[in-house]
Amino acid sequence: MATLPDGTPLPGKLFIVEGIDGSGKSTQLDLLHKWLVSEGHLVVFTEWNSSPLVRRTTQRGKKEQLLTPLTFSLIHAADLADRMERQVIPALKAGAAVLADRYIYTAFARDGARGLNPKWLRKLYSFAVRPTVAFYFQVPLEEALRRILVGRPALKWYEAGMDLGLDPDPYECFRLFQKRILGQYNDMIEEFGLTVIDATRPLIQQQQQVRALVMPHLKELMRANLMPWRQVLAKEGLYGRYLQSDTVPRLVEQ
Amino acid sequence: MTKIRYYGTGNIPGFEANELPGRLIVLEGTDGVGRSTQVALLHEWLEANGYAVAQTGLARSSLVGPGLMRAKQGHTLGDTTLNLFYATDFADRLEKEILPALRAGFVCLTDRYIYSMIARAVVRGVDYDWLKDLFSFAIVPDAVFYLEADLEHLIPRVIAGEGFDYWESGMDVLRGDDIFENYRVYQTRLLAQFRQIGKEYKFITVDANRSAHEVFTDLRRRLKPILRGMQPAV
Repeated sequence: MATLPDGTPLPGKLFIVEGIDGSGKSTQLDLLHKWLVSEGHLVVFTEWNSSPLVRRTTQRGKKEQLLTPLTFSLIHAADLADRMERQVIPALKAGAAVLADRYIYTAFARDGARGLNPKWLRKLYSFAVRPTVAFYFQVPLEEALRRILVGRPALKWYEAGMDLGLDPDPYECFRLFQKRILGQYNDMIEEFGLTVIDATRPLIQQQQQVRALVMPHLKELMRANLMPWRQVLAKEGLYGRYLQSDTVPRLVEQ
Repeated sequence: MTKIRYYGTGNIPGFEANELPGRLIVLEGTDGVGRSTQVALLHEWLEANGYAVAQTGLARSSLVGPGLMRAKQGHTLGDTTLNLFYATDFADRLEKEILPALRAGFVCLTDRYIYSMIARAVVRGVDYDWLKDLFSFAIVPDAVFYLEADLEHLIPRVIAGEGFDYWESGMDVLRGDDIFENYRVYQTRLLAQFRQIGKEYKFITVDANRSAHEVFTDLRRRLKPILRGMQPAV
């Protein structure tokens, strides 16, 4: 069950993944996504820091290093609020499965690591829908670092947590920052009842576990056989050379 | 000295000071009440008396200002998102303009603070407690002067000025096309909301039904004790 902050249950289901960089959560969510679609479910995918309205401001802020821990936190809350109001809540009301790559726990972990008051953060994000299942991909720091830093030329300023000034070396700073975030995550497992997945296990085994946990929630979800509309028309014997694209029109500018 | 106190659980990471030598003076009030006129007059008067003055207002931050303007033109932001955008803008100005000015010993004149944002959001149905907490990283000003005028006094000023503004007439929350009627309804609600908020945040209410000159004289008189202890250059 996904529920609105006031406790109202929504017909849709919200599955979210969390974990530090390199935990493999996005890969697992992607696999889950493809499976759900192949099973005929209507799936909406949403990703941290992707609202077109807020993104330009965030990008500029990051590029020009204008963001402080406080404004960094608020602008990411604005991003989630925008996606919540326009994408997640409508889809859940309609009865769809919504998949979110990173959710409020990312904010609690990162902003907490940046020194913001945890109480304030939790109230700030009280507009967010309570997820059906929140997966936390748990992985030891060194393993995550090994995965992410192999063949990686440079770390971005905020990604490495350079704004915290933990260390002048971006890699060392990243390591220290991730360590703090990991600590924040581990504290949240109990607080929010996160579903822990051992992210050191083989990828397929993790996915089997994820699917098994998702399965019981799928019964009443909306189904939709989505195929490219040209194919739909072709099935009915309609063709035309002005019918140009095979893709579903994109709703959001990238 | 401005004593650094927050309104709640919010905080500003990396900012550590108990008090700052400047003064934070806020002018609040609804649209058309004469805030910007009074800010301009006070700015000049303070400078003429040897104080260093810094001015700031809503939606003017270098970080969010442009994005906020764009979003408002398109009427595309939901209530929660818009408030978070405003909060980001405010936080940016607080950290980059207001606090440095206070640290340097300026009198910081602020055309609206968190109260306008809270009032307009509450009128639109956003939860008051959530808003209070959201903006609780704001530091408590040395004085909040709330310029209050009746609708009868506000309307002629708006007509003689820039006319009825879409947002200030609540066109996004009220039904119909009658901008004048909507303005009346919306501003009445807003004034009631300001009065509520004013009790909680200890506004100093200034009667703005009077002439600009009378209001200015009143404000100067009330400002003097707040400036005591500062060292003007002349």
